[in-house]
Amino acid sequence: MDISFFSPPETTTFFHKNPQKNDPYLDMQSTNNQPQSSHTSTSISSDSGEPCGDGKWASRLLRECATAISDKDSTKIRHLLWMLNELASPYGDCDQKLASYFLQALFCKATESGQRCYKTLASVAEKSHSFDAARKLILKFQEVSPWTTFGHVASNGAILEALDGENKLHIVDISNTLCTQWPTLLEALATRNDETPHLKLTVVITASIAKPVMKEIAQRMEKFARLMGVPFEFNLISGLSHLGGLTKQNLNIQDDEAIAINCIGALRRVQVEERTAVIHMFQSFQPRIVTVVEEEADFTSSKNDFVKCFEECLRFTTLYFEMLEESFPPTSNERLMLERECSRSIVRVLACDDEIGEGDRECRERGSQWTERLREAFSPVSYSDDVVDDVKALLKRYRTGWSLQPQQADHESGIYLAWKEEPVVWASAWKP
Amino acid sequence: MTEEVISSGFIQTPIGEANPPPLKKKRNLPGTPDPEAEVIALSPKTLMATNRFLCEICGKGFQRDQNLQLHRRGHNLPWKLKQRTSKEVRKRVYVCPEKSCVHHHPSRALGDLTGIKKHFCRKHGEKKWKCEKCSKRYAVQSDWKAHSKTCGTREYKCDCGTIFSRRDSFITHRAFCDALAEETARVTAASNVVAANSINYHFVGASLGPGMGQHFASMFKPISTNNETPANPIRQGLSLWMGGHGLSQTQESIGNNNLQEIHHQLNPAVSTSGLVFTTDPFVSVPCSNSPPINYPLNWDFGNKPSSNSSEELTNNISSLPLSNVAKDGGSQVISVPSLFSTQHQSHQTHSTANMSATALLQKAAQMGATTTDPSFLGSFGLKCNDSQIQDGNRYCSPYGGTATSVATALQSSVTDHLSTLNELQMYPSKRRHIQVDQDSTPTTGGGQTRDFLGVGIQSICHPSSINGWI
Repeated sequence: MDISFFSPPETTTFFHKNPQKNDPYLDMQSTNNQPQSSHTSTSISSDSGEPCGDGKWASRLLRECATAISDKDSTKIRHLLWMLNELASPYGDCDQKLASYFLQALFCKATESGQRCYKTLASVAEKSHSFDAARKLILKFQEVSPWTTFGHVASNGAILEALDGENKLHIVDISNTLCTQWPTLLEALATRNDETPHLKLTVVITASIAKPVMKEIAQRMEKFARLMGVPFEFNLISGLSHLGGLTKQNLNIQDDEAIAINCIGALRRVQVEERTAVIHMFQSFQPRIVTVVEEEADFTSSKNDFVKCFEECLRFTTLYFEMLEESFPPTSNERLMLERECSRSIVRVLACDDEIGEGDRECRERGSQWTERLREAFSPVSYSDDVVDDVKALLKRYRTGWSLQPQQADHESGIYLAWKEEPVVWASAWKP
Repeated sequence: MTEEVISSGFIQTPIGEANPPPLKKKRNLPGTPDPEAEVIALSPKTLMATNRFLCEICGKGFQRDQNLQLHRRGHNLPWKLKQRTSKEVRKRVYVCPEKSCVHHHPSRALGDLTGIKKHFCRKHGEKKWKCEKCSKRYAVQSDWKAHSKTCGTREYKCDCGTIFSRRDSFITHRAFCDALAEETARVTAASNVVAANSINYHFVGASLGPGMGQHFASMFKPISTNNETPANPIRQGLSLWMGGHGLSQTQESIGNNNLQEIHHQLNPAVSTSGLVFTTDPFVSVPCSNSPPINYPLNWDFGNKPSSNSSEELTNNISSLPLSNVAKDGGSQVISVPSLFSTQHQSHQTHSTANMSATALLQKAAQMGATTTDPSFLGSFGLKCNDSQIQDGNRYCSPYGGTATSVATALQSSVTDHLSTLNELQMYPSKRRHIQVDQDSTPTTGGGQTRDFLGVGIQSICHPSSINGWI
């Protein structure tokens, strides 16, 4: 076996299963279907210092596998799945993780067991989903990465400016951020104005987060608002089968309130066909401002082309995993949790074609696509210089690698958070 | 608003006299001007003009009147013209030109031209100055400069012990922190002010800057850095006294960052307590008055100032927030009064008092330890924590942190004149200096009857009556 083709990996100690990277690739090249028994060796280890995907073996293999599935080449499928299984590990480096989680999704796709697999994964996750764990997870993530706080800061800034001078504010929060966006807003309300307005917060949760968690969060929010001296009212709407079921009544929207609708990662959970209707429903509430934050990935337009969808999913997930790897400390439980959550999402996107449960559908679209939809009912609001400055200052507080891609003057709107120059999160504001 | 007429470089055209009810306070709170003062109303343009004082000889403009006067001397004016205009210099107060502002009314005028300028900018002006690090915006350049110096260097500490370098992550953490749940339990027990205050005391040395107007935001003022300048012990010390009181109140009494004022206000407190024990009351109370065993007598400055000799001090006492608390019977539980309240409210189950007193003692102990002789303070700190509400140690608690200052006040007042009290700074060096003398004395009297006063009680009064008193 000629291994001079590849640069020898460095010998850093690594306690997990360390495949010899070289072998499988050569194996494939030589179209030798006999599996090599070159695994579980710890002498040559993958260098975890190398950036993810440098070896790129995972993406190649995975792509091959996806193509095979699409082509329904069962022999190849089995072979590749086997190989991936040998090489993958959820505790290894980026490549190994990607291989591991995508393997799971591809397997489900190949065996058409996506739905069952997803349900199992989800129920396992829910068991360990306590308030403490969720809080710790979210707060830690926000501490090390601006992935979520970017959207929070931009949206809060836009909301505060749009509702400035109003006395009765009503924010409809359709998100799964567990209200981590609101403490800073409350603080701003308490300190910014001489007259602190009354804030009513209605949270609509769509994902299957356990209700006790939200109850605890509600209590904390109320206490915190009291501490801040902000008159506050909290409402929770859960168990809604789909967003289309929202009405003015069940949101308890009063006429004298100034409404803001805040959608963080929420629109992607709406069924594609229903999205226009939902947007028009928002319009009917006559909000002063609608803030939308979504991740920059397109899983919708390629729904019928598995390989394309797969490619996009792989691309985005690779970015996400790389970001996680570089943001968190090496042995981080929180990162593991987030990766697992992502893996559930991958299974859902790739292997579940049918209706799972409304709240769990995820068809992401890019900012430009959302812009097209939102333009039907709303017109874009540019973020003010102050808000942009705030966002920039926010990014400065994190490690390098993050940047702000400013809003385009033309048909596109909103700002992008970029990780190593790749846009990953899109934030925008709209008014009727 | 009256347009200002500048002639010969002096401000003219007062609107009229302000006629508020006569004020008892000696030192004016901002916005409550001296009724005899002349009220000036300037237009926004004039207010912001930089060279308002014009020399009538050469027309040169100056930012300040003093500068103009200095300049005028150079013109060799005849003696008559050297004088200011006919009327004697009256105190001038200024109103804010913004109609909707509280300070627009003459009765709430501000006494300082610079002050009204800054106020106008801050409240009604455009915020032109921006911090690079955190994007905070300021209307007044000096505010911005002051902020830039400390931005990013401050740390925020949550009740649970976690320290944050970023304010936003601190706020978010705070909202979900478990410590919050306990905090608000106390809030419902006491009053809403308590929450802010009890959090406040963590943030010692909080700047008394422009952000103080929002009393709840003040709870997010970061804790002070460890770079102790000579001024810091004062501020830290005074925040023990006043920090828990809600910075909004201190703002009223302090004004704009005027450490000097704070100092003056505090000193009498220190001195007073010293007086209470050393001069008349000290002689009269244990020996003749046989006071009831409610120590508020001694601590309640507001109630019994007459027993003290200096009149001036009593006036200042009533202006102290401390006295208010004492009068109210400690309903507003504030860091310092809670120290006092442990004595006479020991029977009251004031959870905050218990918590704050201990915590404050520890804090004071550690602060005192850095500046004074550790053995002196440490011994008291330890003793006091053990037996907070014991008979013999009743004095210990309040003295845990402030023992040094008060005790030294006592010491010096016994040995020296009252005037030394006024000079007594809370500088560690002086404290330490006086400490040396007392080192030998504190431990006389044994466990119960601590002669922490260190003044040689025996020389003044019979020990047994001291015991009875205690």
